[in-house]
Parts: sequence; C-alpha cells; structure tokens
Amino acid sequence: MEKTAVGSLSQLTVGVGAGDMATADMVLNIGPQHPATHGVLRIALTLDGERIVRAQPIIGYMHRGAEKLFEARDYRQILVLANRHDWLSAFSNELGVAMAVERMLGLEVPARAIWARTLLAELNRVLNHLMFLGAYPLEMGAITPIFYAFTEREVLQAVMEEISGGRVHYMFNRIGGLKEDLPAGWLDRVDDAIAAVRRRLPDFDRLIRGNEIFQARTRGVGVLAAETVLAYGASGPVARASGVDFDLRRDEPYLAYAELDVPVVTRSDGDCYARFEVLLDQVAASLGLAGTCAQRLRDLPPGPINVRLPKIVKAPEGETYTWTENPLGINGYYLVSRGERTPWRLKLRTASFSNIQVLGELLPGCLVPDMVAILGSMFFVVGDIDK
Amino acid sequence: MNIPPLAAGSAEPAPAHPLPFLPLPTAGAQGVGALTRAVPAPIKFVLNWGRRYSLWVFNFGLACCAIEFIATSMSRHDFIRLGVIPFAPGPRQADLMVVSGTVTDKMAPAVRRLYEQMPEPKYVISFGACSNCGGPYWDSYCVTKGVDQIVPVDVYVPGCPPRPEALLHGILTLQQKIARESLGDRYAAAGPRPIRSVPAAALQRPLLRADPVGEEPDDG
Amino acid sequence: MTKVPGKGLVEGLGVTLKALTRRSVTQQYPDVEPELPPRSRGVIALLEENCTVCMLCARECPDWCIYIDSHKETLPAPEGGRARVRNVLDRFAIDFSLCMYCGICIEVCPFDALFWTPEFAYAEGDIGDLTHERDRLREWMWTVPEPPALDPGAEPAKEVTAAQKAQQPPPVQQARQAPARPARPSRSAGVAADRPEVDPPAGDSS
Repeated sequence: MEKTAVGSLSQLTVGVGAGDMATADMVLNIGPQHPATHGVLRIALTLDGERIVRAQPIIGYMHRGAEKLFEARDYRQILVLANRHDWLSAFSNELGVAMAVERMLGLEVPARAIWARTLLAELNRVLNHLMFLGAYPLEMGAITPIFYAFTEREVLQAVMEEISGGRVHYMFNRIGGLKEDLPAGWLDRVDDAIAAVRRRLPDFDRLIRGNEIFQARTRGVGVLAAETVLAYGASGPVARASGVDFDLRRDEPYLAYAELDVPVVTRSDGDCYARFEVLLDQVAASLGLAGTCAQRLRDLPPGPINVRLPKIVKAPEGETYTWTENPLGINGYYLVSRGERTPWRLKLRTASFSNIQVLGELLPGCLVPDMVAILGSMFFVVGDIDK
Repeated sequence: MNIPPLAAGSAEPAPAHPLPFLPLPTAGAQGVGALTRAVPAPIKFVLNWGRRYSLWVFNFGLACCAIEFIATSMSRHDFIRLGVIPFAPGPRQADLMVVSGTVTDKMAPAVRRLYEQMPEPKYVISFGACSNCGGPYWDSYCVTKGVDQIVPVDVYVPGCPPRPEALLHGILTLQQKIARESLGDRYAAAGPRPIRSVPAAALQRPLLRADPVGEEPDDG
Repeated sequence: MTKVPGKGLVEGLGVTLKALTRRSVTQQYPDVEPELPPRSRGVIALLEENCTVCMLCARECPDWCIYIDSHKETLPAPEGGRARVRNVLDRFAIDFSLCMYCGICIEVCPFDALFWTPEFAYAEGDIGDLTHERDRLREWMWTVPEPPALDPGAEPAKEVTAAQKAQQPPPVQQARQAPARPARPSRSAGVAADRPEVDPPAGDSS
C-alpha cells in the first residue's frame, strides 16, 4: 500500500506489465445500479489485487428527504410516507409513528387493536424475511429459492391485502388503532397462510441451509464481532447473529409482546451463514407468534379497533422517542412537537443505516467475490439507509 | 485514498428549470427507419410481432415498486408468459427498461446513462407513482418528478406500488403499442424523442473523474 | 457437518423434484381476471351525486392530486322561502399518476362520494390520460364491490348503530350524537341502502 492511486487514472495499469514490481491499488466502483447491491447502494472498493483494502459505502442514491417531508404533513399523512422508507417492513414503520403520537397524546389503544397490530407486525416480519431468504441465495447463484419465497410471500400478501387493501404499503395504522376492523373469517385465512409458510420452511432448510456450496461461500465469511456490532449500533438479525442478544420485543416490550413469549434467535458465529440462519429461524418464530396473536384475537371480547379522535390530531408540545424492533433492526422515531398538527421534527433512526456502516469494517481483507456474500447478508433496504 | 465521486449526480442535482429538448443519440436509426418504411406491411407485421413478444427487460429497481416487479417475474404472475424475459445481463442486451421506484436527482444521471446504453428500438415502462411523476415525494427537494424528465416513457403504470397484474396490463398496453408502430415513424416523424431537462454535459461525463476533488466524496 | 459429501445438494434437488409434481401456482392474468378482496386499493371511484364540493378530499390529499372546480348556483326561491345557493361540481379529476393510494380522501369524505375499487388495469401510454375526469371516475363506480362483513368480534359499523337507533324512538341524547351527517365516513358493512342521515345533503345535487 505504499503507492496509492492518488489523482490519476494512469495508475490503473495494474498487472499489464507495468514494468516495476510495485503494485497500485485500484478503485473499483460497485453500483449504484448493480445486481449485487439489490438497490442503489454504491460502494467504492479499493483493491489490492482481488483483496479489498478499503470499502466505503456511498449512500444517498435513494435519499428522498422523508424527514423533511414529515414536517409538512399531518400525522395521518405521515403514516403514508413513513411506511415507504423501508418498503419491506411497511407495517412496522407506520406502527412506530402511530405509537409515538399515541404516547404524546396519552392515548390508550383498544386491546383488539393492540393484538391485531402485533399480528400484522409479525406477518410483516415474515414477509420481509422471506424476501431476503429468497434474494440472498439468488445473489449467491442459487436461483430457485426466490421462487419458493415469493410463492409464500404471495400467500401472505393476499392476507395482508384482504385486511388493509395494500400489498406492500398497508397504510392500515391510524393514530389510536387501526383503520378498519378485521373482515369476517380473516383470522382463519391467516391461519391457513401461516400453515402454508410453515409447510414451506423445511424446503428452505433442505434447499439452502444444508447446501454445501452455500455453506462454503458463507461460513467464516464476513465475521462480525459483537464489539463491532455495539460500536456501530447495528441491530436486528445482523446483531443477533454476532451473539448480541438484544430484541426490543423481549427487552422493552411494546404492543402485546409483554404477554407473549418472544423467542429471540441468536447465533454466536457472526458470519454470513449465521446471519442467514437467524433470519431463517426467525421466520419460524414469527409464525408462531402470529399464530398466537390470531388465537388471542379470537378470544378477545368484542370491542372497538380504534379510538375515535377529532378530525385534526395535534400532538401536545413535547418530545418522545419510540423504537420498535423492525424486521431489519431497531427503527426509531424521535418526535418533537410544538403542538401543531404537523410535527416540528420527526427524526428517523433506521436499522439499515447503522447496519450498513459496518461494511467499512467488514469488507477490508475480503475477496471481491466474498463482497457479494457479505453485502447480501447484511439484509438492508436502500430506502432504509437513505431515508 | 481518494474515491472519485460519480460524475454529475453527487455534485449537482438535475436543474429544475426546463432546458431545450435534448436530441437523443439514435445512431443509425434514421437509416433503419427509411428502410422499414419501404418494407411491405406483412413483413412489418412479422417484425413487430417478433419485437413484441421478446422483450428482454432490464429492471431498474429503485424502490418499493421493485418488489412488485420481482413479484411479477416470479412464478405466480410470471410475465415470461407474455414474452417478457427478465434475464437481460445488462442494459446493452435489453429492449425494455422498467423503471420501478423513486428516481432521485442523484440517481437520475445513472438512469439516463443506462437508458442510452440500450440498443434501439427500446421501450420504457414507468412503473409506479414515483417514477411517473414523483408520487409521494412530489414536494421533496431531491426527487426527480418523473422519470419522463430524463428518458422518454412509453407506458405509465399507475399505482403505489402497482399490483403485479397492473404491470402485466402495462406490458400488454406496450405490446399493443409495438404492434401498431412503424419504426420509420418512430424515428423519422417524431424526430428526436422529447426529453426534458438534464444537461447533456452532465450525462456524458466519465464515470470516474481523473482528478478527484476531495478526500471524501460529496454524499449530498 | 454433513457426513456424505453432496448430501445437501441432493436434498436440495429433492425439493426441486417435489416442486415438479406440485400444481403450478401461476395465474393466467390476461385470460383470467384475478379475484381481489373488496378492500383492495386499485382505483378511486366517484359517486358524483353525493359530492357536495366540500373540498375536504382535495385538501387532505397528501399529494394534492385531486382537482375540483365548481361554481355556485342560485336556486329560485320556493314560494315563501329564500333563494338558496348551492355548489355545482364542474370538474372532479384525480391524477392517478401522482396518487399514492393512501385512501385518505375516501376516509375524510363526509358524504360517501369516494370509494375504492380493486380495478387496476388502466395503464396508459400518455401520462395525461392517467388523470381521470369525473365521467371516468363515475364509470369506476360500477366496479365498487360490497364491503366485506366484519369479524364477529368487531364493533358494528357506525352507520348500522345509527340506523338501529333511528328506528327506535329517539332518546333525548341521540339528537346530539347523530348530526345530520356522519362525522367520518367508513364504508363498512353494507349500509348503502339505509343511510337516512346522508341523503338530505346528497339530494340537492344535480
């Protein structure tokens, strides 16, 4: 690394008989549109041969200024926008906003709404994880799993659409509860969908978990130490794969999680395989939680699913921070209100933004092909990084 | 070490003020156009028919809509039934670009650049509200209000995100359009296809700049 | 971990083989229309007879994608009465290229003039055609499905409760609780037929 590629592209004539034995580093630009970055993440890699010397994620290609737009929307309109930054966990995103405003208002959400929210959040988690369970092997060259994953996603999306009307962006939370009550027989359909996904899970096990090629590409690759996780504030499955046993659903329960026995899936290896395993096992855990929620919803006495509020909801002056365990990690909203119908500031703390910072530590020393494996295993959504 | 910023995008957002129409480089297309006009109708029909049912698609997956695009390509909706082939290795092998998701000002040059790499005749489907005209981010300071400001769009699919069937319908609409069209008219009569804004220089700058300006790239 | 080398691969192939014997999940969309749930947010339909040009939808829309023009019309005074002014809808258009399908307009409409319908097939070659004018929005009304029945645990819809109360002799308090128009619309539980409160404002449109 004595001679760095400062300033001129002529340094890039590496390995084509440059004369002297000195090697130059090469800057390789991955993205912003690159299949391996599933999205528009750009990474500038500095390479020494095939080994990555330095990696810098360059973000902002999906920056849509959501935080600024929040300031010009009332709370119902914010829900619409809030579910779009992490498009794979739309329900959990809007949940955070609704909970923040409810806390400011000191609003008691009806029990039916709490359980329905928990159920929908867990179904959303399964949807999110199925996406990555399909996409990650795809990046590693295994095309088949994504077809299975999407078949099951369609089943769940049909259930979500039936209740909320949307397949991706549900817009089903409202301040004080949910928009509408459940359609008749919906809970049975949820059970069917859960059973269908559960039937499919062993296929994923056999198809990917036991696959030697997949293991060879992921085991021991991109090992993330627990200290790094803590230093960078990584969270979610990425952190839990490194042995950081932290899950807001258990450690600081919100919604109905306090009454549920939340199984927290952890691994200690911290490599790509561990991260993938956490995701896979978490699907099974979430399906279990969703099933419990559906049963509880059946047993609940009849009641409202939302609180009737005045047309214009104004959060009282003050501030609050709500965090939820989103599928990809901790998602937080810092809401500052000056008592108007729009927030004064709504700061967004997204999981992927913190998770992706680890790449700068993780990638150096790896080979370029390993980069694809590591990148895929970080389970990020570009909109979640850039907001 | 210096990481050169990607040309254009990171440094300057696409200007909001309208610029004169920018001619699209359609190298050799005029010649093809003249020939195709002389071609008898049956052959034209066959050519259009072939083009219509082998649309190699290049997915410009940007945001939420990309998920629904992927869902459309999967077994349940399976647009290969309609002759849309999602295996284009890159834009140079593609006939159809589906822009699905929010085009930000930072990303816009890359969209345009990849569009220009596609061989003629090429089609663009704008999938979802964001790429139609900004959608939910219509008042954002950093979102391009519609991909049609940088590339010509053939079919707009409404939705936020549109359901997979809506994309299938958009594809059918495009196929009808292709069946009716004559390449000669496409290139000759219309002249350069109209596009708004984005200065030409911003799009033709090299990806890697020879002289990196700063230590850290401007992340905007 | 695996004892026999290649065991994992073979198992994976077994999964593929199993999938080969299963029925295909592909839906033949252009030939077979998909069955969509009634709540599905496909396109917004306008029942313009119910619209009183209150502009709530246009103002609440996060995208400002609803365009409403109207003018005032003076109705000749009935005998002994005073001349009345009413709003006449000139234009009602929704720009579906901009619409983010959140449904806020439908939620805020106090007169049940807007409805979701699951129709989705309206992709256009020209972005201008995505702005549906009132006649096109009215056409969508024919595709509006009946809202789904609610879960047994659900509270009955507000309209149902109001209608049941209306059938009973009205207690004193009820006159205050049920104003001439419902405060918030909720298009639930087939109540389109019995909506005594909604009709008076709707009756005066053309």
